[in-house]
Formats: sequence, structure tokens, C-alpha cells
Amino acid sequence: MADVESPGPSQLSRRRFLGAALGATAALPAIARQAGAQAKPTITYWNGLTGADGKVMDELNDQFTRETGIKVEQQRIQWADLYAKLQVSVPAGEGPDLALIHLVEIPHFASDGILDPIDESTLGTKGFRGEDYIPSTWQGGIFQGKRYSIPLDVPQHILYFNVKIMKDAGLVGPDGKPKVPSSGAELVAMAKQITKGDTFGFALGTLNLGQYTFGFHHMLWQNGANIYAPDLKKPGVAEPAAVEAAEFWGSFHAQHKVAPPANANARDAFTAGKLGIWLAGSWNFTGLRAAKVDFTVAPVPRLLKQPVVWTIPHQYVFPKPKAVDAAKRDAVLTHVRWMSDHVAEWTLKAGQVSALKKAHSDSRITGDPVLRTLLAQAPNWQFGQATPRWVAAENVTRPVIERLYIGQVSARAAMEDLARQINALPA
Amino acid sequence: MLRKARLREGRLTPWLFLGPGLLLFVTFRVYPLLDGLYLSFTNARLGRTQPAFVGLANYERLLEDTRFHVSLWNTAFYTIASTLPILAIPLLLAVLLDRGIPLRAFLRSAFFFPFTLSVVTVGLAWLWLLDPVVGPFNYYLKTAGVPVRSWLADPSTAMWAIILTTVWWVTGYYLVIYLAGLQDIPPELYEAAALDGASGWRRFWAITLPLLRPVLLFVVVTHVIGSFQVFGQVFILTGGGPGDATRTVVQHLYETAFRSFFQFGSASAMAWVLFAIILGFSAIQFRLLRGHTEF
Amino acid sequence: MSSVGAPRWRRRALSAALVLLALLWLLPAVWMAVTSLKPTENIVRVPPEWIPRPATLAHYGEVLFSSSRTARIGRAFLNSVIVSVGTVAVVLVTSAMAAYSLARMRFPGRDLVFTVLVGSLMIPNAVVLVPQYVLTQRLGWLSTYQGLIVPEAAVTFAFGVFLLRQFFLTIPGELEDAARIDGADSWRIFTRIVLPLSQPVLAALAIFAFRSAWNDFLWPLIAVNKAEMFPLPVALSFLRGAYASESYGPIMAGATLSALPLLIVFLFANRRIVEGVRVSGLKG
Repeated sequence: MADVESPGPSQLSRRRFLGAALGATAALPAIARQAGAQAKPTITYWNGLTGADGKVMDELNDQFTRETGIKVEQQRIQWADLYAKLQVSVPAGEGPDLALIHLVEIPHFASDGILDPIDESTLGTKGFRGEDYIPSTWQGGIFQGKRYSIPLDVPQHILYFNVKIMKDAGLVGPDGKPKVPSSGAELVAMAKQITKGDTFGFALGTLNLGQYTFGFHHMLWQNGANIYAPDLKKPGVAEPAAVEAAEFWGSFHAQHKVAPPANANARDAFTAGKLGIWLAGSWNFTGLRAAKVDFTVAPVPRLLKQPVVWTIPHQYVFPKPKAVDAAKRDAVLTHVRWMSDHVAEWTLKAGQVSALKKAHSDSRITGDPVLRTLLAQAPNWQFGQATPRWVAAENVTRPVIERLYIGQVSARAAMEDLARQINALPA
Repeated sequence: MLRKARLREGRLTPWLFLGPGLLLFVTFRVYPLLDGLYLSFTNARLGRTQPAFVGLANYERLLEDTRFHVSLWNTAFYTIASTLPILAIPLLLAVLLDRGIPLRAFLRSAFFFPFTLSVVTVGLAWLWLLDPVVGPFNYYLKTAGVPVRSWLADPSTAMWAIILTTVWWVTGYYLVIYLAGLQDIPPELYEAAALDGASGWRRFWAITLPLLRPVLLFVVVTHVIGSFQVFGQVFILTGGGPGDATRTVVQHLYETAFRSFFQFGSASAMAWVLFAIILGFSAIQFRLLRGHTEF
Repeated sequence: MSSVGAPRWRRRALSAALVLLALLWLLPAVWMAVTSLKPTENIVRVPPEWIPRPATLAHYGEVLFSSSRTARIGRAFLNSVIVSVGTVAVVLVTSAMAAYSLARMRFPGRDLVFTVLVGSLMIPNAVVLVPQYVLTQRLGWLSTYQGLIVPEAAVTFAFGVFLLRQFFLTIPGELEDAARIDGADSWRIFTRIVLPLSQPVLAALAIFAFRSAWNDFLWPLIAVNKAEMFPLPVALSFLRGAYASESYGPIMAGATLSALPLLIVFLFANRRIVEGVRVSGLKG
């Protein structure tokens, strides 16, 4: 049968040419990679610094690249998504070379096999020494006898005041500075004086106030309670002290009506002059200065039983790679070393107190009123419990406290529900 | 002669034509479907290479999973509450546009435009529009004297805000479908009815609606099956909040499998429950409207 | 047309009212674009300003070139194009061939295959999400183009077969019979006669498949972990998380950028797109 489909000679050579061209193009990346292998490695770096500090990290990364030639491909994802992506990508061999997470998450990720431990000799080669660091941040990187992280800084809560709003409400002292509440009840009273129209008196958190577990934890700790009982197995949220703290936390919006709605952006509100007193992260203040907001700060007062200050230290961790790459790991450690050496800039520009002690005596830092205040809070610092089940508990906490925030449930019912859910978490 | 010509080709030919697509389909539709059913009876989770058989345990756990029940309820509410607006609004627009009015092409394009956007873009645009402090939506309502609140933060209005967003997004698509359907109606019917003294409204009820029935059926079925699986808008606008007020089944599934718990077995059980519900609904739908359409 | 002899002024008035409604309808998109052009300090101003004064392209620079490379919107856009075009190609080839065999050839199991394909249109994507992920991971296709194209094409394949088979059945058989008597085999008939006649439906299917792939959100969200492989919707959603506590400027810039390509396509191929929707809606 005459095959009308067979190509003529001109078509054949055209096809062959195309094939060769395609082949050559396909080979280009391989050739480029060969050439690139001689150059400095590029490291991938994930973090959740979605606040104003993110920009500062960008600048420091750029400076690092300029000085060392090592490129840093940074990926910023908000924390909840970051944990999920880390969890999924590392087993698939697609994790980043470096990640910045929180101290509280290390037990969880370490026990899930997501992180590579670092040994003493590696630490030694790059000059990381325990005595340089605030002890609790250095110790916190150890899980089951192995070290998984190198500390960076200690983000914490601090109390912000909008000077104009406080003045207008008459809540200033004889020196013209905003009055600092000395108890929870006084805070509520002050907030009530401020709240009017679309201006709110008080907010705890940045975004998604209803789900701000950081603030919720803070109140728990101020009342001597915690997510887990001291044995780190049973939930501690149904204890009376915890319920009391939860009730206080949930009262600002639903009961006293001094706080914005659950999904409000408190940072925008404070910047726009619609929020008087703001208990939020230290990482916000440089952004406030850039936006020229007239504000002052005060140490977190004793709103409940103890003047605890909530902190969530950042730690560098090293996700397990698909295949060991010594050059990449070395580049990563070089980056961490460099950041640690420049941590004073990080503190100054991003507002995060460093975990490295030497930066505390830097005169630029002690000369800044906000940073001074943050440093002074050190004796009252507290952070999350060291259990692999901390992250899972936080995940189930969010919707529960949101219902509490909007007044859909009572504190007791919410905490009992939360205790039930924590008990039901897969082991 | 034809028969001989056909026979010459050989038995294999149909399968050669069907082959690539069928391979694709079996590997990526049939196999996962059945594998999902299998997974739903195991304790599979991310990182667990040897999942063990656990019988009906996952399904039993669903009976106690209050968040799953809430998400089923929310999804049902969303589907039902959005059906009337999505049926009616594009229909109304189509009928109006069908009157031989000037600028018809521009109007059709304007209403269709949102449909070309991805669900994330739509969600982001409305998230910003509905911002309680600086969003124009609340600002103009306030100036008009309408009491406003943070629509997305209030559990009683959050779902409606999502429905509004969806209506904005898909109206143009259904509008075009209705327009095509309306064009198939012979104008003589209207003329005859008008001559008989029928008002516009009567003409609509007696002629337009009945003749549009197959299109209406298509719209309802498409909309319902899609609504059961709503995810993108909810994810962007409320993330399932406030307090799970807008949490939907697919979101619960997504979080169980890929965000919070990485439990593949549980998530597969959820998926099959959803599938059973959709199948059940489709069966009812078809039984009710059997014989009225040709598919 | 259901209007019978309505007076011209009434039609004009109706048109005017609808134009007003249409402009109102477009406001959310306009607000998105306007916000993207405002400098950060003006974005949170009340009352809302509809004309950015001054206007700035800083946010666009941020999302396209910023060193944080969070969004890499430009790269994400390219990824979406590659995935969507790839999906369209796979869908067109596989569905056309399969539909032709189901429409024109007789073989054992034909009706069963067709029923299964049509039945599969009922399967919600959520049902196959988890096992599809497991399969994709096993194939090593996570964070790859094929990992996005192939599953998406598999979904649209069944719809494509359904649509095309309907259409092929309406083509009069005489053309093909004549060709066959002349000695042509099925492949030749398919490619030289049937396909050229099917251009409108193929175009409609292509548009449908393109939009479906372009809009896909949930699957890429879980199937892609490498930032440089995110398609546009996923990149946008992470953009929102990354900038939420700073400013909506970059978020709106990213969203506007994502709308531009289809807007341009839409303005030029408007009629074709609408036609595609029509055909896909009614004949199926």
C-alpha cells in the first residue's frame, strides 16, 4: 500500500535539523551548570518574617551576597504555611538549605526527622560558642541530646501607646507621657475611655486578632497557666488558672468592646491612629518609626498574676537535604556566622533583641529607648514548652480561641473543647 | 467496498487512537480514585511508607469529627444559598441584554470580565474591597447611612460575603450561556404572544422559562457540583473563619492532609463521603428531571 | 430577541442603566488596580481615593524584582503559561483522537469506555487529591511542569472527549466514506478531513482547557514546593501572606499583573472566548 504519509527528503532534513537544534538547546542547562559549579553556591532560605523585619532581612541578605558572593534565595511565607511547607517538602527532598523557625517548633520538627543535627566540631569551625548566647536560647536548640539550631534573636511583646490618642483621652501623666496600666482591670478601664466610633482602645496581636495564639499564650503564662501540664502530656488549658486567663483574653472584643473585630489589621489601625494601646511584637516598632507614628513604649505590665513577657526566639535550622552537599552546608553556615556577626544591625533595624549577648552592650542599642525597654524585660521572658506536640496544639487552638474572641462560646466551654482536642491529637 | 476498506485497517486502530488518552485517564483518574478508596481504610500519613489497614476507623472518626460536620453544613449552606442568586441574576441580565439594546457587546464583555480572573485574584480584590477600615464597600455604605460591620469577621455575614464574591465572579459565565439559550428561542413565538396581548412578564413565564429549561438544568447542575467543592474564595477571604463559620469540606480535607495533620487516610475517607453525597445529589437531580433534556 | 417593537428611547434608557451597572460591576477590579499604583502611605487613607495621586510603580517593581523574591510574579506568570499551554496541547491531542475513535469506529468495549469517561465527570477533584499527590510524589513529579500538566489534562480529557464526540457525530459521514473508498486510512481521514472541520469546537475546548489550567489553585498549592515553580495563583496567595502585615500595595500589584494577560487576550479574542463558553455550555 502506498504510504502517503512518509515524509519527503526535504521534510526529513528539516526534521533532523530541528532535532539537532532541540538537542543542543536541551544541553545548554547542563553546560551552564558545569560552568556554574565553579562559582559560589546559591542557598535557599525560608522564613516567616512577614512584618517590617522582612525588609531588613532582605537588605542584610543583599549585603551578605555583596561581601561573600554567595547568593541567598529567600522565600517568605507566613509561619503557619511555612511549617506546613517544611513538613511536606523536606521528605520529598525539596526543602530549603536554611530555615528560620521558632524555638518552640524544634522538638516537633526534630522528632519528625525534618532537621539535620549539627555537631560540636562544625560549631567549632565557624566559631559558634554557647557562652556567647543567652543561655535559654542556646539550650533550647537541643532535643534529645542533639543540637538542631543556632539562635538568632528574641522577638517579644511590648506595649505600644499612640501618644495623640492617649493625650486626647486624658490618659497622660504630669510629664505628658502616656500612663501605663498596672493591672488588667486598669487596662480595660483605660481602653474604655479611648474607644469611640471607629477608634479602639486596645488590641493584642497584629493580624487575625481572633487567632492570635501568641497573645493567648502570653495571657496564659501571665496567669501561671500553660497549654500542657508540667508533665507535657496532659493538656493544661482546662485548669482554673487557664480558664481565667482565657476569659480575660477573650473579654476585650466580645465583652468590653474595646478591641477591633477578629480579622482586623491592628497594625494598620495603630498606624492610622485608630488604636490607642497595642500589645504586640517588638518587630513592629521599626515599621512604626518609618511610618512616622508618634508612639511610646512601656514594658509589658502585670495584667494578671505575673509580669511575664512572651517571647518566641528565632533559631536557624538546617532541613535535611536530599543529598549531602558539603559546599552548600558550608555556605549556609557562613551565612549564619555572618548574620551573627552583624546581629547588632539586625537588632537596630528590625527591632529584634539579639540572642547574642555581645550586641546588648552596643551603645547604639542601649541608646535606643525601645531597645532598652526590650532588653530590660529579659528577667521576665518566657517561651513555649519544649514538646513535639506544641505545634499541633497551636493548630487546633486557633479556631477555638477565635470562637472565644467573637463571643460565640464561654471561656470554660472553649477551654474544655480545646483540652478535648489536644487529647485527641495523634501521638 | 467501504467494509473492505475499513477491515484493512486492523483491529488495533481504535485502540491506537484511544490509547494515549486512555492511558492518561486510567493512570491519573481511575487509579487515584480507587487508590483513594483503599487509602481511606488505612492509617496512611505523610512519611509513613507502610500504611496499615484499619478498617472503618477513619470513617468512624468522621462521626466524631465535629469540624467535619460543621464543614459539611457550611458547604451545604453555601451551595443552597448561592443557587438562587446564581440562577437568577445572570438570567435577569441576559433577558435585559437580549432586547436588542445598544452597546450589548460591551455590556456582555464587562460582565464576563471577572470570569477571566483566577479565583485567587478575585479573592484578593474582594478582600481588599471589603476591608472594614479602609475598604470602599463599607465606606460608601456608611455614607449612605447603612449600618456596616466587618462582613468577613462576623460569622453571620461571612458566608454571604463569600457568596457575593462568587456571584460577581461567575455571573458573566452564566450570562453568556443564558444569552446563547435565549437566542435559540424563535422570535416568532414572542411576536405571536404579543399579538395575543401577552405582557412582557407573561411572555417570560410562558415562553422563555420553559424553553430555557435545559439551560437552567445545566446551570444548576454545574453550579451545585462546583459549589460542593468550593475552596479558593474561602481560603483567601476568610481561611474558614471566623471560628469555622465558613469552613468548607474541601478546606477541611486540605488541612487534614496537607497543612496541619498530614493524615492521608482520614482525608481520603472525607473525600469519599463528599463523593457519595455528590453522587446522591446527582442521582436525585437526574431522576427528577429525567426526560426533560437530551445530553 | 424577546423585545417586540420596544420604543428606541426605552432601549437606550435600558442600555444606559445597564452600562452604569456594568461600570459598578467592574469597580472591584478597578479598585485593585488603583491601589496597586498608590504609594504605601496613601493606601490606608479614608475616604477612598480613586485616582492615585501620586502614582507609583514601586509595588510592581517590588513583586517583580525585589530581592526577597517572595512572589516572583513574573516567573509565576511564565509557569502558568507553560502549564496551561502544555495542558491544552495534551488535552487537544488525546481527546480528539479518543473522541474520533468513539464516534466513528466500532470495537468491543466502546460503549463501556464512553460511559466510564462520561461518568468520571462526576468525580469531584477533592476525591483524588490525596492519592494523586502520593502518585505524583512516587513518580518524582512534585514541583515539575509535568506534575501540573498531566493531572490537569487527565481531568479535562474526559470533558474534551464528551464535547468532541458530540461534534464529530454531527459531521456527515459521506465525506469520510468517500475518502475511505479512495484508500485513505483512519489517521489520514482524521487529520485531513475531520480535524479541519472541527476548528470551532477545538478552539472552544482549547479555551476551556486553558482557563481551567490557568485557574487551578488547590492542586498546585500542594504539588509544588519550589518557589520558582509556583504558578500564578499559588504565588499570589503566598504574596498575600508575605505582605499582609506590611501593605496591600504589592499584593494588589501582583493581583493586577495576574489579570492583565487574560484581559489582553480577552480584549482581542473576546468573541472567540464567549463562543467557546457557549459551545461548551450548550452542547454538553
